[in-house]
Amino acid sequence: MSDTAKLVYGAALGALYLVAGALHILVAVVGPIPGLDALPLTGDPLAGFVMLVVGAVFAAGARNLARDAGEDAIFVSVGVLLSVGFGLVELLALSAAGLDAYLLGGGAGWSVAGLVSPLLYLAVFGAAGYLAWGRKFLRGLSAA
Amino acid sequence: MAGTCPLALLAPGTGGTVAELRAGKGMQTRLFGMGFCPDARVKVQCADRGSIIVSVGDARYALSRGMAMKILVREGIP
Amino acid sequence: MREIRIALTGNPNVGKTTLFNALTGSRQHVGNWPGVTVEKKTGRVSHNGYEIEVVDLPGTYSLTAYSADEVVARDYILEERPDVVVQVVDATNLERNLYLTTQVAELGVPMVIALNMADMAEAQGDTIDLARLSEFLEIPVVRTVGTRGEGLDTLLEAAIKEAATSPHHEHTIGYGDDVEATIAMLADALSTDIDLARRYPLRWLAVKLLEGDENVLDKVRGGPALARVESILSSIDSDEYEAMMADKRYEAISAILPQVRKANVRNMSPSDMLDRVVTDRYLGIPIFLALMWGTFQLTFTVAAPFMTMIEAAVGWLAEFVAGSIEPAWLASFLGDGIIGGVGAVVVFLPNIFILFLILAFLEDSGYLARAAFIMDRPLYALGLPGKAFIPMLVGFGCNVPAIMATRSIEGEKDRLLTILVNPFMSCSARLPVYILLAGTFFPEQAGSVVFFLYVLGIAVAIASAKLFRSTILPGEVSPFVMEMPPYRIPTAITSLRHMWSRGSMYIRKAGSIILIGVLVVWALASFPLGVEYGSAESFAGMIGHLLEPLVAPLGFDWKVAVALIFGFIAKEIVVGSLGVLYGTGEETLSSALLADPGLSAAAALALMVFVLLYTPCVAAIGVIRQETGSWKWAGFSVAYGLVVAWLLAFVVGHSAGLFLGGI
Repeated sequence: MSDTAKLVYGAALGALYLVAGALHILVAVVGPIPGLDALPLTGDPLAGFVMLVVGAVFAAGARNLARDAGEDAIFVSVGVLLSVGFGLVELLALSAAGLDAYLLGGGAGWSVAGLVSPLLYLAVFGAAGYLAWGRKFLRGLSAA
Repeated sequence: MAGTCPLALLAPGTGGTVAELRAGKGMQTRLFGMGFCPDARVKVQCADRGSIIVSVGDARYALSRGMAMKILVREGIP
Repeated sequence: MREIRIALTGNPNVGKTTLFNALTGSRQHVGNWPGVTVEKKTGRVSHNGYEIEVVDLPGTYSLTAYSADEVVARDYILEERPDVVVQVVDATNLERNLYLTTQVAELGVPMVIALNMADMAEAQGDTIDLARLSEFLEIPVVRTVGTRGEGLDTLLEAAIKEAATSPHHEHTIGYGDDVEATIAMLADALSTDIDLARRYPLRWLAVKLLEGDENVLDKVRGGPALARVESILSSIDSDEYEAMMADKRYEAISAILPQVRKANVRNMSPSDMLDRVVTDRYLGIPIFLALMWGTFQLTFTVAAPFMTMIEAAVGWLAEFVAGSIEPAWLASFLGDGIIGGVGAVVVFLPNIFILFLILAFLEDSGYLARAAFIMDRPLYALGLPGKAFIPMLVGFGCNVPAIMATRSIEGEKDRLLTILVNPFMSCSARLPVYILLAGTFFPEQAGSVVFFLYVLGIAVAIASAKLFRSTILPGEVSPFVMEMPPYRIPTAITSLRHMWSRGSMYIRKAGSIILIGVLVVWALASFPLGVEYGSAESFAGMIGHLLEPLVAPLGFDWKVAVALIFGFIAKEIVVGSLGVLYGTGEETLSSALLADPGLSAAAALALMVFVLLYTPCVAAIGVIRQETGSWKWAGFSVAYGLVVAWLLAFVVGHSAGLFLGGI
């Protein structure tokens, strides 16, 4: 993938994560926002913070690429790793919650719809970046 | 002492070989143990915090600047 | 025609000689410094009615006494007292150049900085804010390009102006309370040597003596101050001091640099680039916090189904034993005592093992060492070494392996301090107490209450570290050294093995001690013969009544006192004990607690605070004794924890009582 493509990708994901993170924190502070009910926001402020961090890493990567700071898109690559990593964390956490609900026999407070959390679906975009060049980066890292 | 410089003063990305350790007995032994012995190749990797990250041979350490001042390096030979 | 003398100083290869030549043209004289084979160059230049003598000092990196060059340079500045010292600074390499600046400034002479090779820095894409640099250093800064003769007039004017300014403003670096106290002591001792005091700045002499400067010590020898100076010096480790003081100088420099310079980055290997991101000045700590969130998210959620299964299995086993074994006392011993007690501990295995697995993963990947590196700054400010943070993290799982993990900390005091504050990190054994009480009394805000307790634990750990540093364990944190392992993709096998080595410590250590503890609890609750298990007439009940007056101000009755004593063995036992004492199972305990008029919501909050902070459990005490090598520190840890817990529970309970209607 060319640096320009990475720049656009980093800027887009940076914006997505930052907005999602900010909305999360907003929902946690002021309560549900009318008109945004359709968006699956869990309103967990800490998850919101995590999204802000991932977004900031992507944004910093895009900025460095725009300035041609000679960092070889490293921030965008780390953003991809963080995005995929937190997606996995969320997936594991939600599956475990489901298993626990199943064991307890009730399933109260757990539904398939709950699986659609921003950290999870945004990670799909991260996974695309990972497949595009993230694997190569990881291999280069352990070889060094 | 031409050509030698404390490790703490090298710019990130530059390196050289260890020329001398100017430390007391205890610290000298410790630095030796970490691989900072004469003629070992060192390189400063990162230097924008209180401590610096230095590679010696294949090992990599975070070292406070004060400790790194005690390691004299012949510059060049990256 | 007025005459002034300028000394040029600077690191080697900063273009000092080029600048000297450009300044003085052909009016130069080359000779040797007296007594040494170091070349001495002087030259003359006229400017604005001033006749200026320029002395080119040897290029040095610092003003210690390690080489003849350094001694010549500093002796000239100190003894010949030039009107102005001009330091030529390589703009492409500010850190190392400014280090010399801090040393020259300490000599107490007027100074001007010639920011040389500024064109090269600009060509590399660095930008330097001269005005701010000058403001921070309190030294005039002039941009020069020696090779093209740029900025020479401005430099001379700044030098003339600085030479005329009097009195001269002294710049000093604060070396931290400890070092400063020693400096003051030394300066006081040195002031008795009148001859010395007239010739050199006392503070500078003291600083150099602390750095183990032989040359300065020679100056003191033969004078009247020697005996006192030597006795002060023999009480310190000059190696450590020297490193610490160099660190402080760098701290001063690195506080300034990012505000005056925007540096460009040059090409690096993937691993170095990754280091750049995770140790980034702004993003490093947020990334670390985000990863910690992920760690705890996984720990608590993934462990939940396993805990549910274990709980069910233990419950079934205890019931089976109680129902099928004769005589009744043996069934009680096996069911209530061993299975109930050990079960209470086993329930946390998933929690602990998952936390340790994730930490092992982060450690094996090489990230944790970087995290210690970025946490070194904030922890240093709290009087803890950067490496202390790994034991602190492990402490959220179990304090036993956490305290053993402090072995990687070198300084004896640093390590002791880390051990002593570790029990305040809320281990997973304390969580069920919070879950029960917060869930019962604060069902709406349970999550926030539990979060508050974790934060309170960290805050108490930090405050205690500060307190110990200034009282029983005085001194500075030892200079930071840590190996940075290469980044690796961890394999499942190595991470699992790593997890097992920490987790099994919990099983072995905690297991054996807790089993004994459980037996003691069972015995206390069952005897004298014939009493109902855990009733007021049992030994446990008697002890509870005995202690009731002590905990009554916190809003606790005898049942709570007994539960707290049992919690000494392992904190999760508090829940089980309350279940026994209220005569209910753990399932209906919630409603029993709510129905008890003796336990208010405020008191429940106080109880959670008390459980968080009071004495480490038996296993942790054992390991503190083992790691510190003395019962003294183990005993101290128990006593300190009890006192802090009582005080904070009192404060929190009564403050909450104001809002919740009495304790």
